[in-house]
Amino acid sequence: MAEITRRHFLQAAALAAASIPLSRAIKVYAEEKKPDFVPKGSFEDTQSIAGGVCEMCFWRCQLVGKVRNGRLVKLEGNPKSIDNGKAICARGNAGIMLAYDANRLKYPMKNIGERGNPKWQRISWEEALDECGKRLKAVLDKYGPQGISMFPHGASAKYPMDFFETVVGTPNISEASFFQCRGVRDQAYLTTYGHTCDENVDMANAKVIFLTGSHLGENIHVSHTMSYLKGLENGAKLIVIDPRFSAAASKADIWIPIRPGTDTALLLAIMNHLITKGLYDKAFVQANCTGFEEFKKACSLWPAKKAAKECDVPEAQIIKIAELLAQNAPNVAIHPGRFSSWYGNDFQRIRALACLTALLGAYKVPGGFTNPISPKTGSVKWKDAAEPDEKINMAEKWPFHPPGTPTDAIRNAGITGKPYPIKATVIWGQNIVQTIPNQAMTIEFLKKQDFVLCVDVMPTDVTMYADILLPEPTYLERYDVIKKGGKLSTNGPDKQYIAARMPIITPLHDVKDSIFITNEIAKRMGFERHIPVQNQEEYVNKILEPAGLSLEKLRAENGIHIEESTKKAYRNGNELEFETPSGKIELFSKELAEKGFAGAPAYTPPPKRPAGYAHLLFGRVPVHSFTRTQNNLWLHNEMPENALWINDKMAAKMGIKDGDRVKLVNQDGLTSATDTVVLVTPGIKTDAVFLPHGYGMRNPMLEIAKDKGMDDQSLCSANCVDPQTGTHGIRANFVRLVKDGKTISFPI
Amino acid sequence: MPKQYAMIIDLNRCVGCHACAIACRAEWDVPVPNQRNWVKRLGPAQTSKGLSYTYYPGLCNHCKDPACVKVCPADVRSMTFTDKETGKTVTQEVAATWKDPFTGAVLIDKNHCIGCGMCVEACPYGARYLNEKLEKADKCTFCVERLEKGLEPACVQTCLAKARIFGDMNDSNSEVAQYIKKGAKGITSAAVNIGPNVYYYGKERDIELLFNKCAPQKMPQASVGERRNLLARMIKGVLPIA
Repeated sequence: MAEITRRHFLQAAALAAASIPLSRAIKVYAEEKKPDFVPKGSFEDTQSIAGGVCEMCFWRCQLVGKVRNGRLVKLEGNPKSIDNGKAICARGNAGIMLAYDANRLKYPMKNIGERGNPKWQRISWEEALDECGKRLKAVLDKYGPQGISMFPHGASAKYPMDFFETVVGTPNISEASFFQCRGVRDQAYLTTYGHTCDENVDMANAKVIFLTGSHLGENIHVSHTMSYLKGLENGAKLIVIDPRFSAAASKADIWIPIRPGTDTALLLAIMNHLITKGLYDKAFVQANCTGFEEFKKACSLWPAKKAAKECDVPEAQIIKIAELLAQNAPNVAIHPGRFSSWYGNDFQRIRALACLTALLGAYKVPGGFTNPISPKTGSVKWKDAAEPDEKINMAEKWPFHPPGTPTDAIRNAGITGKPYPIKATVIWGQNIVQTIPNQAMTIEFLKKQDFVLCVDVMPTDVTMYADILLPEPTYLERYDVIKKGGKLSTNGPDKQYIAARMPIITPLHDVKDSIFITNEIAKRMGFERHIPVQNQEEYVNKILEPAGLSLEKLRAENGIHIEESTKKAYRNGNELEFETPSGKIELFSKELAEKGFAGAPAYTPPPKRPAGYAHLLFGRVPVHSFTRTQNNLWLHNEMPENALWINDKMAAKMGIKDGDRVKLVNQDGLTSATDTVVLVTPGIKTDAVFLPHGYGMRNPMLEIAKDKGMDDQSLCSANCVDPQTGTHGIRANFVRLVKDGKTISFPI
Repeated sequence: MPKQYAMIIDLNRCVGCHACAIACRAEWDVPVPNQRNWVKRLGPAQTSKGLSYTYYPGLCNHCKDPACVKVCPADVRSMTFTDKETGKTVTQEVAATWKDPFTGAVLIDKNHCIGCGMCVEACPYGARYLNEKLEKADKCTFCVERLEKGLEPACVQTCLAKARIFGDMNDSNSEVAQYIKKGAKGITSAAVNIGPNVYYYGKERDIELLFNKCAPQKMPQASVGERRNLLARMIKGVLPIA
């Protein structure tokens, strides 16, 4: 080994510049450069400011900020937190770069170009708000409240959403978190148990953790991931159902690479085995469930052998899973999932998960589905508020819809004018171009509006369609959300906590918060008398008041109030009450049956894959929250593009190599605007590809994110609407590869 | 026995979230695209022990025999090191980078560093970088500056998975020593075996993939041309050099 030594180096140096002694050259050099080269750590000359609540995603970890001379240098978990503790994820750590992003929206702007191809002109807040008030009022007067639609997302959008819903009176409000994500899940649990589930499975105390599609690890929510890892550390067996060898599958005891979209058949087969072999929790079912006979019949349609064929899973595996669950019941975590809008048959799939939980008695027990007890807080209601008129509500066509109106109905009305015209749209913190399937329709909808208002922190692909674009402060610069929750304990009292989002730094740029913006628009629309609060602090204090708290008190408690719960979240005995029509857990729901749906969970096969195409699966990477974080320099640098996973056997047959660059073309002939890099792997089923979601943004204002990676959403043109809930299934899309301009089919 | 700081990366716990890399960037103001601390995603790929999908959370190995220290061309000075616990001192001749005799941490004196980049070239793990703005070499310090304030290394503090365990491997009761005892290994190869002090623990298949993909296969060597460039940089402003 030819080692580089200091002596060798000096010899070389002497050869190259024999006339000056190296030491002198260096000495002069060092003396010329006197600044302190030693980077200061976050602990040096900084002030710790508690009270932050993260919004790089929506899990809302509690933060402290380290601030030096007014500049935020680091974010950390609030050491007082019983939720995330001192830990935060990559996105949480990179929140600084959102605040200091050079491409932030900095002042109000007016589009003097066209929608989709904007030319921005800076205007004053006065002019911007006058314009919003005038144009929204014009639509309201001409078309009624139903002529306005709203797409809100995030904490700051709650106050304006309430205004548009209960004062303006439009039912046409659609949140992506409901209609393109988890609404279908919550509705399925609500129908079954009389309450929603969130992701409240007590994985930390589970003996088995059962995941269908949940890719924990790639999808990171700090306390949730901690609970999962705690369970694994304690020896929980992990079962992962996923066509892809996900981050979770890589830790699994049993990985089932299922045929995409067939999960309900698998779940019915597991439940059928539990029932026919008498392995379910008979006492719990007897005491707490209704409709067992009808339910049993529905499960019997899917014996393991038949499901094995449908799902492309060995029959023995199905039986093995059923028995593993039964042996460890009731301490089993049947995860309800998060992103649930898959194939437009999703309500029934989540119902099956809810019923499987009940069959195993895995409800309000350690390891089971257990909602922690959370502190009571208040709410802010607009004065003289009312619910929108039922006659203008399009949502009733989907009787089990989440709050708001299905996006598809709003978009169709905006395009066709039926059942009535929708002519103004307020988009607050949501990038509907990259959340709602079928971009062409969304763009047509936007172009047909008389007025489009976007309010956000960053430019996104939808802000290109705004007439007026207003900038909000980041979550580090404002008050808004109350984060509360509970922590289960197996050997003592449960705990509960409340934190409020408080600013860590003063707002940069000429931005205004959502209370101010909404109130000013309300005044200009003639609704001044309905305004309930004057500013952010008053808004948050009103919500805190019933808990005996205030911002001042929370600040004195370092941002988080923690107390012991007076009750336990785990059940004591078997006798429970449920707020369902029957007062029981509804294995079979009469209400569903009466409304023309299968009363017990039923499997509808997903749309058939055309020959030559692969299923387009998408999901998350741990460094991004959809499109929201794409322009963040630190996060972008971790994963600059979204590698497309292709099965190695398929790739070999198609002549595709790891590292090749490809575009995708979908079943409707839509080709991705950009290409991306291929990851050839045995870790995905032959009939599917996987593309991380959120990449491939097109807005030229995003100097970092623009055209980086590929936009999966641009290839999701199939409109699969779940019949019970009106939520969008987004996974029923199929693709072929395009390499060097040539389309390559999958040899299947 | 003097300390040897070490870090364990428990791949059974790691979920590959990249928080460590970003926390380090914030803590030490590391410019993009440089890094003191990184996460590479590996697989899913077939190994002799089955399918693996794992991560390479990397940082300076604070090697027993650090290749970076011996190439530093800055003037040698006498430096006295003090053991914080016993008060014992040792005086050594060091250039601008050295291995601390009491903690085993490999550190840089930024004010003495001439920014030549020799150490950056010499590290087989790519753990050092040249800060272009400051014209100084930079690397992981095991956050000794934070340790002095009673804090954990930034990457350890933010790790939600508790996959990073820091401590003194020479203390047999420490968690790191326990991990090493049960098989945690530094990333080495036949050609590169300089005593790394970051130890990886995990399933056989994950360790196999990690070593196959990430173990350096040769010790770097600086070229003559490279040395000339370095020299030109150093004496820039002192002599007019064409």
